Amino acid sequence: MGALGGRVAVITGADQPLGRGLALALGDAGAGVALVGDAGALAPLTAELESRNRRAVAVEARVGEREALERAFATAADELGGPVRIVVHAAVPAVAFERVAFEDVDDARWDAVWEGTMTAALAVLQASFTHLRGSGGRVVFVTPTVSMSGAPGLVAYAAAMEGQRLLAKSAARQWGPDGITVNCLAPAPEHVPIGVASSEVSLAPPALGGPGDAETDLGPVVVFLASDDAHFLTGETLCADGGVWMAP
Amino acid sequence: MTADAPLAGRTAIVTGAGQGVGRGIAAALARRGARVVLAARRAETGEPAAQEIRDRGGDARCIVTDITRREDVERCVASTVEHYGGLEIMVHNAFQGGRLHRLEDVDAALWATNSRTAVWGSYYSARFAAPHLRRAGTRGRLLLITSPAGVEGSVNIPVYAPVKAAQRAIAKSLAREWGPHGITVNCVAPVAETPALAGAFAANPVLKERVEARTALGRVGDAERDVGAVAAFLASDDASYVTGQTIVCDGGSFLGL
Repeated sequence: MGALGGRVAVITGADQPLGRGLALALGDAGAGVALVGDAGALAPLTAELESRNRRAVAVEARVGEREALERAFATAADELGGPVRIVVHAAVPAVAFERVAFEDVDDARWDAVWEGTMTAALAVLQASFTHLRGSGGRVVFVTPTVSMSGAPGLVAYAAAMEGQRLLAKSAARQWGPDGITVNCLAPAPEHVPIGVASSEVSLAPPALGGPGDAETDLGPVVVFLASDDAHFLTGETLCADGGVWMAP
Repeated sequence: MTADAPLAGRTAIVTGAGQGVGRGIAAALARRGARVVLAARRAETGEPAAQEIRDRGGDARCIVTDITRREDVERCVASTVEHYGGLEIMVHNAFQGGRLHRLEDVDAALWATNSRTAVWGSYYSARFAAPHLRRAGTRGRLLLITSPAGVEGSVNIPVYAPVKAAQRAIAKSLAREWGPHGITVNCVAPVAETPALAGAFAANPVLKERVEARTALGRVGDAERDVGAVAAFLASDDASYVTGQTIVCDGGSFLGL
């Protein structure tokens, strides 16, 4: 049955390798998985989950719009036969990954990265509130450790990741009484296409040898955060980066 | 440079300097010898604050600036450099937002107020100060005024936390990016007596007691003597080897760093 048996999970950003690995882990833990985003790009992953005999559906929606997400969550519940209980937000506007010297960042780029990321994060949280309130729901944001380390050429991206991390903490504080927990999973920077190795922002080599695999190393951590066993954790950031950052 | 005037010969811009923490920082920098431009949204507050510094023998002028408007920040920096010949210290403190809200009710307007002043204001400040800070080399300083809420989150004003957190991430990334030029980028996270805090205490009388009870030093800070002094240290040569950091200056309330 698995730790998430019978649950419905929504995940954004599963068209990227990191989100894909997390989605596969959620499915293998027994959750029905709704992949929200560009349904065409998500079709191969839906097929992969189905080939493993997992319940999965791709739902077309713009991640930056609350109403669109609320409809997508409703579709997920209908298609997968139960209310959405788990939301994993890994989507980031693709432009956010581009490494650009600060002097060459213009207003359009700042807007696309900072506002684009934060608007989506807020919309995901608000849609989650609508669907999870009172249900013991779980929200997990994926915020690479660059949010805490900073990185040259990635000022707007680091700001957006740290903005997301603190949005999660505020939501955790405010929505505890509503039965919703909100946590962050912080993988090593190698998991996103920003061209940053851990060794660029930390002297310490990864204690466990490397950044790990999205599905088999990070997957179990997101499954734990989404499970009943994590019911007393909220507002936390779990650095699953192979033992580099070791925060807090 | 003398011991009394560690910032002599340097020019600073302080945004949001018409009142509160910004006014205190502007006064503290001026007292230590810096020429200070008070970038204030309203002349009604910025001019008296500049006059007070001049009355104490300092060199200060107010430039009316809306930090959320790109052309305003560009003009403020250009006018400062034209008048004083350079810019060594950029302090972005201006902020608007902070009213109580529920996260599920946040709309585009409430988000924009917080984001425009804290985050876009930091971006514009950094962007237009950058060529001058680079010229200043090891005397170049960017200071962003953040909040303990940017580390611990906020139950009452939830979107305040992410915009203040973003400033810390901006500081860390710019510290790395500008380190090769000798420029330092840091944050101060203060709690001080300001009109904004007075308003919050008035709206919620228990808050003042709670804040004082939670504060190791048992009092709310003074914008110039307590917070301004820390900003002045970070602006000085003594802090040349400190970059990418946040100094929490709240009397020992938030101890989570």
